[in-house]
Amino acid sequence: MTAPAVAMLAVLAQANRRDTLVSWGWVSEHLDDVWSRTVEHVELTLVALAIGFTVSSALAALAVRHRRTFAPITWIGSILYTIPSVALFGMLIPVTGLGFWTAEIALVSYTILIFVRNIVAGIDGVPAAVVEAADAMGYTRWQRLRSVELPLALPTIVAGLRIAAVTVIGLVTVAAVVGNGGYGAFILDGLDRDFPTPIVLGAVLSVLLAATVDAGLAYAERALTPWARRRGGGR
Amino acid sequence: MGAESGGVAVSIRDLTKQYPGAPTPAVRNLSLDVAAGEVVALVGPSGCGKTTTLKMINRLIEPTSGTIQVLGRDQAELPVHELRRAIGYVIQQIGLFPHRTVAANVGVVPGLLGWPKARIAERVAELLALVGLPADAGSRYPSELSGGQQQRVGVARALAADPPILLMDEPYSAVDPLVRARLQDDLLALQAQVGKTIVIVTHDIDEAIKLGDRVAILAEGGVLAQYDTPDELLRAPADEFVAAFLGRERSLRRLGLRRVGEVRSEPAATVAVRATTAEALGAAEGMGARWVLVIDGDAEPVGLVAVADLRHHSRSGAAGRTVGEGLEPDRRPPVVDSTWPLREVLDAVLRSGSGGALVDDASPARCVITLDALAEALR
Ligand SMILES: Nc1ncnc2c1ncn2[C@@H]1O[C@H](COP(=O)(O)OP(=O)(O)OP(=O)(O)O)[C@@H](O)[C@H]1O
Ligand SMILES: [Mg+2]
Repeated sequence: MTAPAVAMLAVLAQANRRDTLVSWGWVSEHLDDVWSRTVEHVELTLVALAIGFTVSSALAALAVRHRRTFAPITWIGSILYTIPSVALFGMLIPVTGLGFWTAEIALVSYTILIFVRNIVAGIDGVPAAVVEAADAMGYTRWQRLRSVELPLALPTIVAGLRIAAVTVIGLVTVAAVVGNGGYGAFILDGLDRDFPTPIVLGAVLSVLLAATVDAGLAYAERALTPWARRRGGGR
Repeated sequence: MGAESGGVAVSIRDLTKQYPGAPTPAVRNLSLDVAAGEVVALVGPSGCGKTTTLKMINRLIEPTSGTIQVLGRDQAELPVHELRRAIGYVIQQIGLFPHRTVAANVGVVPGLLGWPKARIAERVAELLALVGLPADAGSRYPSELSGGQQQRVGVARALAADPPILLMDEPYSAVDPLVRARLQDDLLALQAQVGKTIVIVTHDIDEAIKLGDRVAILAEGGVLAQYDTPDELLRAPADEFVAAFLGRERSLRRLGLRRVGEVRSEPAATVAVRATTAEALGAAEGMGARWVLVIDGDAEPVGLVAVADLRHHSRSGAAGRTVGEGLEPDRRPPVVDSTWPLREVLDAVLRSGSGGALVDDASPARCVITLDALAEALR
């Protein structure tokens, strides 16, 4: 992830000074900050994932219905995905200024490729016989999508959600450069003051949050797909 | 067999399907009527357009030209999902919804039709019993059932909303011959109970003959080669193609269609093993029988002797010999009842080497079916 990498470089840069890496006293004095930064970080992440998922669902629906649009959609998604995050934030500042929505635009743009690919792959992965049976039973197109295709695509969609969530949590740390809070603010603070403790704290918290969210989603997926758990594996 | 074969359930007229890019049509100018309450089997070589035809009936595939009437209405008039909810469909690859329990799978169409929950649950339980699944199967997922059980769920799902018409695409291709035979018997029993109009696609001519009240044989390019009752097809195939498709055992297959009760059995004189040839002849001639059934002390049949043979023995001076002495050992005639298919009777008779079978019915006179009676049945 980008943020821990930046933090790591910063820490390495400090290492030759022989200071202690973590000052526990400082950490215990700033527990309030840890809480408010967590709230900010989670908020930025959730909004980015929600908008990204909504936009991607519409794009995926278009791609599933009109196959020819799939290639251009993924192409644009790939370009957005490959722009280095710091560069993208930098390019957006002259247009949208500093602040929440600048960060969100960049964050959302990284989720599109992941979400679209996984939603389309999930729906494509529904066995043709099952789709045909749904048609033969008299499902309308919408009913078929809602009752058959989406539930069966769920494991693949959740897999995409897990990747997107971990990616965004890492990127939110970098988004501190456009003036948002989150764990990135600790890291920026540490870099400013040549003080390693907040840098390490920001990196560790970011990784912890990513791991927790990933595990939570994995658990939710298991709970939502009981059929895939029983003997035979379901599909 | 159709309980009420008054109307026409499915009427296909000049149906043609040309897939885009294909050099020739998959189905060409097909016209076919399916009488209400009948089972029609669509057979033909691979790629001859059977699946295409079946899918056009419920508009999973749109015809290029031609019309299909379902229960007297042009099926193109109805919204397609309404048409499909009124026609049960068993797809070739079963296609159960893996994320739904068996009960939810079976309850799909009633749910789409907006039945109340309690009524759906009741119907599901009824259907699981009807297709011979244990009641607890309802709470399992499809992956927890055997292939044959999944097949039954597919049939139950198609029957759920009690549709008057059932379409089945090679429903038994995925199961072993024993299970297949049982599922076929189940379908016939079910049909006798519920009296649906059924169109079943198969490439197995034996299955078509066994299940179909009528059989439609399609040739390459979806051309109807012959449409007739199985007996008529086997008796008089329309051309070389049909004859080749029906195979070299046409007579045997026809015997498979008839049952003992449908052919004439003839009374035989019953004599004990200790009776002399002269006594046996007397008994047979007294009742005008052509056959003598020899029974042992326990009244079990041990042999079947032609009266012509007894006469021959008698003339060559063996009139005093007992019939028991004249019998070859281990040639007990098989005992059959009126429900046996003639093909099985023939097999039993050939295995026993006795020349005929004893019909076990309630009549006091003992009747037999002989090899020439079997040949006569095929006239
Ligand atoms: N979607 C399609 N597009 C183009 N051609 C098709 C399509 N579906 C079927 N065909 C062609 O139409 C012909 C009839 O196919 P159909 O599936 O109806 O055959 P079938 O009699 O059911 O064969 P089988 O016994 O192998 O199932 C075949 O030549 C097939 O290749
Ligand atoms: Mg087919």
